Amino acid sequence: MKAGSNKYTTSEKKPTAIGMILRQASVPLMFIIICAFCIPIAGLSPSYLANEIVTRMGRNSFLILSLLIPIMAGMGLNFGMTLGAMAGEIGLILVSDWQIVGIPGMVLAAIISIPISILLGIFCGKILNKAKGREMITSYIMSFFINGIYQLVVLYLMGSVIPIKHSSIKLPRGYGIRNTVSLLRMRQKLDNLIAINVSGIKIPVMTFIIIGILCLFIIWFRKTKLGQDMRAVGQDMEVARDAGIDVERTRIISIVMSTVLAGIGMIIYLQNMGNIATYSSHSQIGMFCIAALLVGGASVDRASIGNVFLGVILFHTMFIVAPRAGAYITGDSMIGEYFRVFVSYAVITVALVMYETNKRRAKSESSRELRAQQDADEARAAGKGNV
Amino acid sequence: MTETKTFKDRVAASLKNFGLPRLIITGFLVLLLILAPFVGADLPTQISNIINRFSWNGILVLAMVPMVHSGCGLNFGLPLGIISGLLGATLSIEFGFTGRLSFLMAILIATPFALVFGTLYGWLLNKIKGGEMMIATYVGFSSVSLMCMMWLLLPYHSPNMVWGLAGKGLRTTISLEGYYNQALAGIGQINIGNISIPTGTLLFFALLAFGIWAFLHTKTGTAMTAVGSNPVFARAAGINVDKIRMLSVVMSTWLAAIGILVYEQGFGFIQLYMAPFYMALPAVSAILIGGASVNKATIMNVIIGTILFQGIVTMTPTVMNNMIHMDMSEVIRIIASMGMILFALTRKTEASR
Amino acid sequence: MRSKRQLLFRAGALLIVLAIAACMFVIGRGHTVYFDNKTAEYNGQEYEAFHKVVVTVDGEQVAKLGKRDRGMADTMGQNFVMTLEITDEKGSQPHSHKVSMPLPYSMDGIIINIPELMAGLPAEAYMSEFIITPVEESESSDELETDEFGIGGDV
Repeated sequence: MKAGSNKYTTSEKKPTAIGMILRQASVPLMFIIICAFCIPIAGLSPSYLANEIVTRMGRNSFLILSLLIPIMAGMGLNFGMTLGAMAGEIGLILVSDWQIVGIPGMVLAAIISIPISILLGIFCGKILNKAKGREMITSYIMSFFINGIYQLVVLYLMGSVIPIKHSSIKLPRGYGIRNTVSLLRMRQKLDNLIAINVSGIKIPVMTFIIIGILCLFIIWFRKTKLGQDMRAVGQDMEVARDAGIDVERTRIISIVMSTVLAGIGMIIYLQNMGNIATYSSHSQIGMFCIAALLVGGASVDRASIGNVFLGVILFHTMFIVAPRAGAYITGDSMIGEYFRVFVSYAVITVALVMYETNKRRAKSESSRELRAQQDADEARAAGKGNV
Repeated sequence: MTETKTFKDRVAASLKNFGLPRLIITGFLVLLLILAPFVGADLPTQISNIINRFSWNGILVLAMVPMVHSGCGLNFGLPLGIISGLLGATLSIEFGFTGRLSFLMAILIATPFALVFGTLYGWLLNKIKGGEMMIATYVGFSSVSLMCMMWLLLPYHSPNMVWGLAGKGLRTTISLEGYYNQALAGIGQINIGNISIPTGTLLFFALLAFGIWAFLHTKTGTAMTAVGSNPVFARAAGINVDKIRMLSVVMSTWLAAIGILVYEQGFGFIQLYMAPFYMALPAVSAILIGGASVNKATIMNVIIGTILFQGIVTMTPTVMNNMIHMDMSEVIRIIASMGMILFALTRKTEASR
Repeated sequence: MRSKRQLLFRAGALLIVLAIAACMFVIGRGHTVYFDNKTAEYNGQEYEAFHKVVVTVDGEQVAKLGKRDRGMADTMGQNFVMTLEITDEKGSQPHSHKVSMPLPYSMDGIIINIPELMAGLPAEAYMSEFIITPVEESESSDELETDEFGIGGDV
């Protein structure tokens, strides 16, 4: 018995240094350095840069906020937010065929997207419940799978089964949607509803108000019974189950909420862009938002609203300046382009590695404690037996 | 215990083991094969296509096996190995090798890269046991995007590879004409009517597959299986788990490097930049369709899976086009392959780490 | 008891959402209105084009039309209001009219003939549907700039 326990303690390796070096603040810090380095080289005027960043904050914040709830429920980064984005796009495609324009068009698109998002979210949540412990890779593959279904619907069923009237969005062959759908008459309608101009910087106040409302909702939601349940599930599923929480249901709800919010977020995103790239708008959106969130200092199991905004600012500053800085340094504009791609993926990789090493360390520490406890108990029991 | 099982139970159990998605996919391919002659598709050409594509892709799928065996999960980091292969390919051409020799040299040059990258990759995966697949995916993505910069920046000069105008920076596709195009396929090629069999490539695949099979039956190989099926037991038995895992990752990476070279010699082109980005997904779904699971894979799974997957890839467009004049093959392929991966990920596995 | 109330609430919420959706259909319908300042014939009678018409929609001047000119405006909603500032002959004093009319829901593009409208003819006389002849364009020209990566692999 003694020998066995000794073996355990010796074979358990000490926590490694990589997690120590890469502390939480390191990612935002690294980005600040990259940005500080690239901004002067890029040579963009401060007002242009500020304008771009404010625009992108309005455009992306809502989408990124949709990631927070699954993180709270311990389901990691929801790569399945793409599902919501696709639902939002379907809403917008239908609305633009019906020629409902402006803000009413956005509202209607959101109303159409919600039931689709809910269905997709329930499906995704159920699958993720079957793949506990590898939610992220599963939700990632899920986004590809649903993308296949989306293509089936948009490329083959729209125009043949789902009526599409206007040839401006239909492919010449008579069914399927064109590569781009123009949202000209919805373009920046929300941003311009209340827009103020502060020394040359256009601030889309209404968009920010909506983002603010979502932030307040998330803060409020954390305090509700359901929110508390989600956090409990995120902490420890078994403990939560013992406490009488329906773990599976709570997890599904968190994914459904995320998907619905992502759908609405996508509509806000696309009204700013002014057109839908039917087959590619959503494909990278998940990766983008996740990278931005992580750049803001979030980790796989902990993310706050502050991380979202810091992330948007830093990530998009890098995004704007990198191609120009790259072009200036190397004389090739593609270098900067590839550089920002690389940085986005590298950030996600680093964050994932940090999360896994921390998780492993916590696990081995707690199991060591448990073992020590057991050994002590056994020793005591043995001692009693001897007496 | 097992004797009490009735025949019916056993059929039901094996069916459950086989899995509904796999059944659907196999059924679908059989249906395509039956339909093909009726809709006017030339069956021999189709079969020839399947064999050819099998020969291109077989080794990439084979590259899944070592990592699955050691419990590292599906190798979503395949692009890393592919990168090593691409480095071998481009350097071999850069150094002026031509013909079949350039293929051999590509393999030789790719090997050290694969060993180094594989070691680093294996070291990383040992740090994060349990989260391999997600991190592997992103290691693949990061390495591909890093190499995108490198293809532009590295001092390549061979006029057959760089952009003509700028004189530097590799092209997105490089023709292998004059280099190792059909280097293996051309060896002992058999032509019967419309069917052409790339004997050389098939033999090369068989050689590697046999090598892996034989390896898995050596002492180290069985240790690898032990690590995969029960790491705690393996550790207790005195096996150095980390070392074995590392070995499996290096093997997978090297096989991926060789795999892409074989693919290129069949395809006739080197594809750089973002091309390797999603190459892991077809290979992953192929081995899963062949009957593998997240922690169990055999050479048989590789062979069956590649045939089924490539069969669907080649048959669907022609049959669909001839039947309903609608090319839905792309969509069907995505749904089938991703559905298969999803299905595999949701299966309960005995040992998750 | 509670579940019944919950059900009622849910049904109510659903109804409200549906009502909003219906409302959006009406107030959000977009039309493109084209105005022609063209001599037109209706029931054998001719309506002479004006010398100059200035069209203002939502306080914004959208068109200044001479004879045989056509202007256009994008509108939202089912009711269309515009202000016309008409100069009958060269040199004469312009006079201003505020015109409002319901637009037919089914038409995307609507042509309004101003001389006929001003003559007080019924809607079917001065209104006609504008049918866009689809412009054949190659799919490749559809590529456009987004702020995403301009590069991507294929699954």
